Amino acid sequence: MNSNDVKNLSTRRQWLTTAGGGAGALALASLLQHDGVAAPGLHPPHSTPRAKRVIWLFMHGGPSHMDLFDPKPDLIKHSGKPLPESFGTVATRRNVAKNPLLGPIKPFKPRGQSGLEISDFFPRLSECADDLFVVRSMHGDSVNHPQSVYQVNTGSVLMGRPSVGSWTAYGLGTENQDMPAFVVLPDPAGGLKGGPPAWGSGFLPASYQGVTMRAGRNPILDLKPQNKISKQQQRKLLDLAQKFNHEHLKKRNHDDDLVARIKAYELAFRMQSAAPALVDIRQETVATHKLYGLHDEKTREFGERCLLARRMVESGVRFVQVYSGGTEGWDAHQDVQKNHGDLCAKTDQPIAGLLRDLKQRGLLDDTLVVWGGEFGRMPMSEQGVGRDHNPWGYSYWLAGAGIQGGRAYGATDPIGLRAAEDKVHVRDMHATILHLLGVDHALLSFFHNGLDERLTGPGEAHVIPDIAG
Amino acid sequence: MRNHKVFFGFSAICWLVIGFAELPRFSYAETSETLVEPEIRRTDRDHWAYRPIQRSAVSKLASDDRSRNPIDRFILKTINERQLIPQGQADRVTLIRRLSFGIRGLPPTAAEIEQFVSSPAPDAYQQLADRMLSSFHYGEHWGQHWLDLARFADTDGFEFYKERADAWKYRDWVIQALNDDMPYDRFVAFQLAGDELEPVNERARVATVFCLSGPDMPDINSQEQRRQNVLNELTGTVGSVLLGLQIGCAQCHDHKFDPISQADFYRLRAVFERAVHVTRNKSLNVLQEKEGQLTKSYLMIRGDWRRQGPEIQPGFPRIANPGNLPFTVDSSIKTSGRRTALADWITHPENPLTARVIVNRLWQYHFGTGLVPSTSDFGIGHSPSHPELLDWLALELIQNAWSLKHIHRVIVNSATYRQKSLAHGEVPQDPENTWLSYFSRRRLSGEAIRDAMLAASGSLSKELGGKGVHPPLPEALKATLIEGQWHVSERLADHYRRSIYLFARRNLPYPIFEAFDRPDGNASCARRLHSTTAPQSLLMLNSTLSLDAAQRLAGRLLSDHVTIGEQMFEDLLIKTFGRTPTEKEKGTLRQFHQNQTRFLLSDERGDRGLALPIPLPAGVDHHAAAALTDICLAVFNATEFMYVD
Repeated sequence: MNSNDVKNLSTRRQWLTTAGGGAGALALASLLQHDGVAAPGLHPPHSTPRAKRVIWLFMHGGPSHMDLFDPKPDLIKHSGKPLPESFGTVATRRNVAKNPLLGPIKPFKPRGQSGLEISDFFPRLSECADDLFVVRSMHGDSVNHPQSVYQVNTGSVLMGRPSVGSWTAYGLGTENQDMPAFVVLPDPAGGLKGGPPAWGSGFLPASYQGVTMRAGRNPILDLKPQNKISKQQQRKLLDLAQKFNHEHLKKRNHDDDLVARIKAYELAFRMQSAAPALVDIRQETVATHKLYGLHDEKTREFGERCLLARRMVESGVRFVQVYSGGTEGWDAHQDVQKNHGDLCAKTDQPIAGLLRDLKQRGLLDDTLVVWGGEFGRMPMSEQGVGRDHNPWGYSYWLAGAGIQGGRAYGATDPIGLRAAEDKVHVRDMHATILHLLGVDHALLSFFHNGLDERLTGPGEAHVIPDIAG
Repeated sequence: MRNHKVFFGFSAICWLVIGFAELPRFSYAETSETLVEPEIRRTDRDHWAYRPIQRSAVSKLASDDRSRNPIDRFILKTINERQLIPQGQADRVTLIRRLSFGIRGLPPTAAEIEQFVSSPAPDAYQQLADRMLSSFHYGEHWGQHWLDLARFADTDGFEFYKERADAWKYRDWVIQALNDDMPYDRFVAFQLAGDELEPVNERARVATVFCLSGPDMPDINSQEQRRQNVLNELTGTVGSVLLGLQIGCAQCHDHKFDPISQADFYRLRAVFERAVHVTRNKSLNVLQEKEGQLTKSYLMIRGDWRRQGPEIQPGFPRIANPGNLPFTVDSSIKTSGRRTALADWITHPENPLTARVIVNRLWQYHFGTGLVPSTSDFGIGHSPSHPELLDWLALELIQNAWSLKHIHRVIVNSATYRQKSLAHGEVPQDPENTWLSYFSRRRLSGEAIRDAMLAASGSLSKELGGKGVHPPLPEALKATLIEGQWHVSERLADHYRRSIYLFARRNLPYPIFEAFDRPDGNASCARRLHSTTAPQSLLMLNSTLSLDAAQRLAGRLLSDHVTIGEQMFEDLLIKTFGRTPTEKEKGTLRQFHQNQTRFLLSDERGDRGLALPIPLPAGVDHHAAAALTDICLAVFNATEFMYVD
């Protein structure tokens, strides 16, 4: 921790005392703890947490709700007709408002005991229907990818604010002293629209930003010594550096920053072993590999990352984000059948496998799994069988964290254009996620440029009322 | 927590300022076509920042044998009041390193250290400071501070991150202007209205890139929305960077605490309205104003780009205009002249904010914290630790023809700047060092760490200016970009350019810069964070950048010394820590070198090869040479290399 951080800290501390604790007290735990600077000792959360950790499956590009989780019989009826005038003007990215409506691509069926409807795009996941809490009334503010990617990740359509994962890491710290608190597993198929600011820490200290990891032998940037430096050789030269560092510290006043730097080197050294061990999935059984679809060329890549996500939360990483879809991803402008057919086939088995695996290990009880993208898609067609972006109404689902599944919450209008009942804005979803982690969104704040900043912003945000079931 | 003063309301205002989002609060102008705005009350004007700059002086105390200039007398006064004990002067070895990184962002050379340490001249330090200030590297280092404020990048941002082909010209303009010691009032005026001040000078127009350097989305659906976003962002930036006014907060409704009305925001915005034009899919560059073009300006209700409120005339934020100077345009200017009028007002000696804001920034970059810690916010709730000193510096700037180098000179020559940082066993009575009784130790920026590695290894290119360069990126990072967004520069020498010349992508900062807290260029950054993280250590230990620099440093040492021994180790520490090693350290290095050479010989290395020095002189034992590379890499990873006392 740098002297500036320490300054910030001591002012924070005073300020917290005067402000009566609460939010900051919680975050302070993590501030003191980061990089192992101070002894752990988390402060009590705001409410009883239902989840200790989060896995967010981010479907980049915007999956089509009315083709996956939001059955719209009326859309079948009106397919081919123009949007009824009663719907008024619709802002779209590609001027599709006047295009004919396009019926759901695949049929929906009631699934599981609950009868929750899910389309045939997700045969495996459908078997987990009773674990899913589908929010059918999500809505956001921008028809563009990057703005929506930012909003869903950071609460703001502007670039450069802290992401949910960073806020969580800031608020709750890490349970694994050898690993960062927030890990991102990007899709190797290509970069995100909007890029790394999606998991940036914004004005929060850099230690809270998402650390991207990949499957394979080199999961973190610069995690391994260069080829010409062996591990033992590195330890020896690091010992020399640390010798200098201890001497340097000895001649100076006790400076937290200098101490933190020495510790950061040891954490880095430990991560070199911890991270590769964590991504070494050879330790998993054949049955587990199969569960995640690793035996199948189609599902192997995403399955591997889902398995990594489980291994991370199991080892104490607080927040893991798994991205599906390269630069285009679920952005099915041309052909929903083809695009979603492909991506659902890649993710269906791995996601179902993840839910089952978490369940059988008893992890699902206190792990929150979130599924969704930056927006949904339009009921109108584009280029015949494609669909344009739709931030005005779309679906998300949550599972685990003691949430009673097999339920749908909220609704879009009869054709799936706009959220209509029990609307859940992006910021409400953020408030809900924090709530499940035992954090009050209104109290989790960071003092920046004269403002007390929050993930959910200054406006009202509401936790989904009966989320806990 | 909710009752903690007023900050919650404030954040409500600033939270979301983009047109289409729902905003939580209402403005008085909500339904009215006529403008109603709260008047500035007398009590509003009582806030220190809005009061005229006061001349003040502190007389020298009889007991004062340390003050070198008025800065010290102001500082000593408060130190005495608080019964703190100031530190004595740091030794020359410490001072030259502090000064060199502080002014040039580079380590001192061995020759410079030698000359300074052994100089008998009583004014050796002043001479040294002057030499450093006249170095071209001064502009390269301080230019980055300004680029942080200007939220500069070579790309647009958002989805496609198109490259801004000419952005580098602005970066070079800033560097040159600082090196020329262009008076700060001119420096500001050019960035607001270079095209009006010198219509035939293309370089003058380049300066206006300042206004349009923010992130932008050229392919956004509504170009009108884009235009207004750009205008809003630039208005906020002009307010915070040049005036220390968080006027951007008044975009949607009147500022909650500061006496800035929504109309004030749109008055300032109106000044730029005619100069901002957007064309679909075309990146922003310079301000453009066509002659005789008329555009009306409006207040936008709740900041919503679709909801026009009452018409607004260009003007100055009232609170910052105690003299009530009228907004008058020079009719001889062919374009509207509005931005010239603004520049004239901002740089008017009676403007209470401009000079205070800039001298406070210089202070922050020298000492780590400004006299007013919130360097871009001089509003209610913030105050200077040393109000008289702040005003003294502001007047000193104005009275010395707005010369920034003059202020640097005064600051670095003060006894306050030359103090020691705290040594072993000294417990700070003032841990935040608000009263400056010692010098605050500081970590170098990512840019300076990279430049210092390159400088130590003798590979730092001396080339100045020009288009941004692209050194190699790790493959894993390249994969996060859209195809073709990073073409590695063909000339090897370009990989070793100073950090400020590296192409600045908004979506992908160069790894060492990102790891060490460089801002991402999405908003003006007044003060960088200083984090200490494990990924920083991984990068310093394992990156190609570090190893290559270590190999080159080892190669340089082998070329300059016949044997790997004491003299070489002395040279090594001078190049990296700026000091000679102690006997103990020499012993440690000798011992390590022997052990490591032996270890490398016995290590089961398979086909991994040795990290040999570059170049490798003939006849040198490979294992001994590779052990030297290890020493160089260890030294780059030492705290002392990355910190300045």
